[in-house]
Amino acid sequence: MSIINYASREIQFKIVYYGPALCGKTTNLNYIHQRINPLNRGDLVSLATATERTLFFDFLPLNAVVIKGFVTKFQLYTVPGQVIYNATRQLVLRSVDGVVFVADSQWEKMEENVESWKNLCDNLQLQNMNIEDTPCVLEYNKRDLPNIAPVNYMEYVMNNRKKRLQSFEVISSTGQNVFAALNAVSQILLHKFSKQSEAPQGAPLPVAIPVEPPHSTQRLPA
Amino acid sequence: MNAIPVLTIEDVATLDGVLGDFLKKTEAELTIVIDRGGNVISQCGDMDVMDVTVIAALAAGSFAATRELARRIGEVEFNALYHQGNGNHMFMNSVDDDTIMITVFGSRTTVGLVRFYSGTTAQNVANVLKTLRSNTHGFSFDAKDISAAPVFVEPQSALQK
Repeated sequence: MSIINYASREIQFKIVYYGPALCGKTTNLNYIHQRINPLNRGDLVSLATATERTLFFDFLPLNAVVIKGFVTKFQLYTVPGQVIYNATRQLVLRSVDGVVFVADSQWEKMEENVESWKNLCDNLQLQNMNIEDTPCVLEYNKRDLPNIAPVNYMEYVMNNRKKRLQSFEVISSTGQNVFAALNAVSQILLHKFSKQSEAPQGAPLPVAIPVEPPHSTQRLPA
Repeated sequence: MNAIPVLTIEDVATLDGVLGDFLKKTEAELTIVIDRGGNVISQCGDMDVMDVTVIAALAAGSFAATRELARRIGEVEFNALYHQGNGNHMFMNSVDDDTIMITVFGSRTTVGLVRFYSGTTAQNVANVLKTLRSNTHGFSFDAKDISAAPVFVEPQSALQK
């Protein structure tokens, strides 16, 4: 849950990168850390094993836009993707405000993608949240590899629902669409909180998004 | 989802008073109140040498990770944790179900003193936060306050890749 501090004039938000093992969550954070203006970011903290598998989480604090005189601070986390670390995923998800789900586009990873998505939904449920009300975007990562599923197949498998999410074709190793996905989830999140403060109690919370045309996948340039 | 919790200037001043008093009594260097998601709620003391945001994220993780250990010995959670260093140490204690208090201290004081005062301080902090959560006032901003421009800007050289 975000917090607003009138004394320091800050609003804090938490975004979690979620997805199966080795799908590129940490690579996303590494790229953002490398590219973003150093004045707007803190240290990238990575709790990984010797073989660079995320053991606990990666963490990157970012300062972003100013809204009504308040600096918005985004804290980006990744979860460990390996199935056995579900308890860790649950604790990293605590108080989450937005999710970037990173799916691996390779054919052989489809089952893991679906399992990880279900795991995300279950873990949100445990803290009385649901994916429909949580600002979320999809990344179809590793689009530069040869054995990848076409985007319409990825959409069918990962985004086949009434209220479809924005999705992005991403190559996290080169940074293609990494910022686009981050910006999209940030905008959804900010708009959600703006509507939330207007909405009467009990009214449905909107999750629509203004950055890119809704329901469309951001294609890579030819 | 509930409204966004808001810390007014008065809330922050009250918390600062409670935490300042704690630091004075214990001679600790720094104390931070965080939620269990790793967000900083309030902080007091010498913050120049430490990145409070990172400490908060790691401490929340550390506190949550030991929950499972506690469960193995029949506890719901450990309500206090102590990390001993060579010169600097860290003491963390539970404030309420959503909040943790972290204290960093050096050789000027002892863990016993920090532990002793942290109990009443946590209680005082919990009372302030309880009032804060029951308040219905909230910060509000409209969609028109949000710029349509990207929230995070990527340098041009990377976009041309």
